[in-house]
Amino acid sequence: MDAFFASVEQRDHPQLRGKPIAVGGNGGRGVVAAASYEARKYGVRSAMPSRLAKQKCPHLIFVPHRFDVYKSVSQEIRDIFYQYTDLVEPLSLDEAYLDVTINKPNHKSAIYIAEQIRKKILQQTQLTASAGVSINKFLAKVASDINKPNGLKVILPVEVEDFMKTLPIEKFFGVGKVTAQRLKAQNIRTGADLQKYTLIELVELFGKLGKYLYEVIHGNDHRIVKSNRVRKSFSIERTFDTNLETQNHIEAKIKELCLKLHTSMEDKGVKGKTINLKFRYADFTTYTRTKSYLDFMDDLDTLQNTACGLFINAWDGESSLRLIGIGYSKLNTEIPESQLQFPF
Amino acid sequence: MRFSVSSSDFLKKLQVASGAINPNPVLPILEDFLFDIENNVLTISSTNLETTIITKLDVVADEGGKIAVPAKILLDTLKALPDQPITFAVDENGSGIELTSDYGKYKLAGDNPEDFPETPAEENVDHITLDAWVLANAINKTLFATSSDELRLAMTGVYVQVDFNKIVFVATDAHKLVKYQYTEGIDSEVTNSFIMPKKALTLIKNVVTNESTVKLSYNSTNVFVDFGDTRMVCRLVDAKYPDYNAVIPVENPNLLTISRKDFQSSLKRIAIYANKTTNQVILNINDGSLTISAQDLDFSNEATEQLSCTYSGEPMTIGFNAKFLIEMLGILESDDVVFELSTPNRAGILMPSEQTDTDSEHLLMLVMPVMMSN
Repeated sequence: MDAFFASVEQRDHPQLRGKPIAVGGNGGRGVVAAASYEARKYGVRSAMPSRLAKQKCPHLIFVPHRFDVYKSVSQEIRDIFYQYTDLVEPLSLDEAYLDVTINKPNHKSAIYIAEQIRKKILQQTQLTASAGVSINKFLAKVASDINKPNGLKVILPVEVEDFMKTLPIEKFFGVGKVTAQRLKAQNIRTGADLQKYTLIELVELFGKLGKYLYEVIHGNDHRIVKSNRVRKSFSIERTFDTNLETQNHIEAKIKELCLKLHTSMEDKGVKGKTINLKFRYADFTTYTRTKSYLDFMDDLDTLQNTACGLFINAWDGESSLRLIGIGYSKLNTEIPESQLQFPF
Repeated sequence: MRFSVSSSDFLKKLQVASGAINPNPVLPILEDFLFDIENNVLTISSTNLETTIITKLDVVADEGGKIAVPAKILLDTLKALPDQPITFAVDENGSGIELTSDYGKYKLAGDNPEDFPETPAEENVDHITLDAWVLANAINKTLFATSSDELRLAMTGVYVQVDFNKIVFVATDAHKLVKYQYTEGIDSEVTNSFIMPKKALTLIKNVVTNESTVKLSYNSTNVFVDFGDTRMVCRLVDAKYPDYNAVIPVENPNLLTISRKDFQSSLKRIAIYANKTTNQVILNINDGSLTISAQDLDFSNEATEQLSCTYSGEPMTIGFNAKFLIEMLGILESDDVVFELSTPNRAGILMPSEQTDTDSEHLLMLVMPVMMSN
C-alpha cells in the first residue's frame, strides 16, 4: 500500500487530502509512523523523530494514529489476496508476498493478476497499492518499490540480469545503512559491482551476508512464500527444460515427483483422500485427473500407481509433456463442516 | 573482548538464548548472538524480531567489549567439548574470534555488533509477578487450544487478562476454548489484557521451569518476561481478542460426572472406529449410563461402549470430535470430571469435578459439538 496509514487518514478526512501529513505523535519524543507523499517531498520519512520532521516541513500536519482502522483495512486487503491464492505471506499490515504460480482464477499471467488485485483494492478501499512482479521474492519486493505510488513494475526473467546490474546496493532488501557503508568501502555501489566478485571473495569480505548477496545477485533466491493458512491441498509440479516424449520417461518423472510429494507430506504428518494429477502438453493444453479413496492415503506405492494409472488413461499416447503436477486433496488436516464453531 | 568461562555453564546459557534464533538468510545478523561484557558479566542476546532473549552469565573477563557471534558454529563447538574452562577472545579488528580449549584453538568470524537490532525499550509498562509454576501450568493448559489460522490472528496466541487480583489465560481455535484462572498472590494495580504469541509461550514454557517467580511487564506492544537472570521480550499479537465470555454458556442444565481416565480410554478405543474426517463419536446419556459409539459408513466399521456415570438432566444424544475430547481430558488432572451440556448444537463445558469458585486455580474448557447426520 502507498503511504498506508497516511493514505487512510486522507481518505477518511477529505480536508487532509493534498496536504503534507504525518501519522504519529507530535510530542517531544514522538516519531512519524507514516508520511503522506506530500510530506515526503520535504524529506519527511517514517520512523523520523517528529521534531525533525517538523523542522523539515514546518506546515506538516500531525494526525493521531487509528490502528484499529488500519487493521481492518489490512484485513480487507488480505481478503482480496486470498481470492487469488492461499499462498500469501504478510510482511506487515500493508505488504505481502503472493505466490501466484498456481492461482484460483487459473490465469497464466502474474502481471494480469497483479493489476486485477490493484484494481480491486482501489475499488474496495479507495486506496492505491503498488506491486512488483518477478521470478522470486527478492526481485518482486525490490520491484514493488520502483513505481510507487500507484504503480506496477515487472522484472521479466530476461531482464533480471540487466536489472541487477544497475540496482544500487541500498535497494537490496536486507542491506541497511551500516552494511551499505561497508559495501561502499569496497567500492561496491551497484549490482554490477557485486557481480564482479566470486562467491568466495564475497564470503571472505562479508561472511554470511556475502553469500546472501551472491545468491540474490545471480537470481538464486529460492525462498518460498510462507503462508500459514490451513491448506486444502498439497501438491508439487514441474515444468521440464525439454519436453518429455516417451511413456517410460514420463512414468519415471511421475514416480520421482510422487516420491518428493510423499516425503514432504510424511514430514508434516499430512494424508489425503484424493490424488490429483495434472499434465500439460507442449501446446499448453492442460488436463487434470483425480481419484478418490475412502481412507486417508499416505502410501508411496499407491500414490505412484494411482498417478501413473491416471496418466495412462488420459494420455493420447503420442503428445510430449512440458509439465506434470501431482497432489493430494481432502486432507486429514481439514476441519469438516459438521464441526460447529463458536459464534465469534 | 576476552573472557574465560566453564564450557558447560556457557553452553547452558547459550542454549536458553538460542530459542530465539532461526535460520535467516535475509538478515544473517539474526543468526548471531550479541555478546556484551561489562564488569565480569557477559550479556547474551538473541532475537528473531518477534522474540528477544537476554540472559546473563558471570565470566572472568580481561577486557570488555561487544561482538555479534554466529550462533550455530559456537553452539556446535561447545556441544562437542567436555566440560572445561575455555577462553573466548576477539582480535584487535573487532571481528576475528578465537576460542581456546584444552585441545586447541578454533577461529570464526564475528559480525558488527552495531548491526544487531535494538531491544525494544521498556516504556509505560505495568507489572505483575506470579509463581513460575503458575505460568508454566497456564501455558501447558492453554497452548493446545490456540488456532494456527493466520487469518484469525488473535486466536493464534494466548489471551492474558490481568484483573487486579486475578490473572486469566484464554485460548481458542473457534472449536474448543480453555480458560485458566489463578488468584493466589496476584496483585495488580490495573486491569489490562494482551495476546502472547504461541511461539514465545513455547519458549517460555521450556525455560521457566526451574525458576521460582516470574515478573511480567507489559505495554501495548511488548511483554517483558523476567525470571532468574533471563529476560524475554515478546512482541504481542496485535489484534482484538474475540469476546470469549459471550460464548460460555451460563446455564447448561444437564450434568454428567464421570471418571476422567475411564472416559478418556473409552474414547480412545471408540475413536478407532470413527469416520476419519469428522472423528465423530456419539454420546448417548441416560440416568446413570453413558453410551459412546462411532461408525464409519465408508468401511462398515462401528463400535459401542457403555460406561457408568452420574447424570442429572434430560436424556440426550450429542456428537463430538473424539480427538478434541481426548486432548482436553488429557489436560485435566482430577479423578472425576463434570461435563455440562444443554442441547446437541450448543457448547459443552468440561471441568474438574471438585472445583469451586473460591479455589485459587480455576479451569474451564468449552467444546463445540459435531452435528449429527441422522
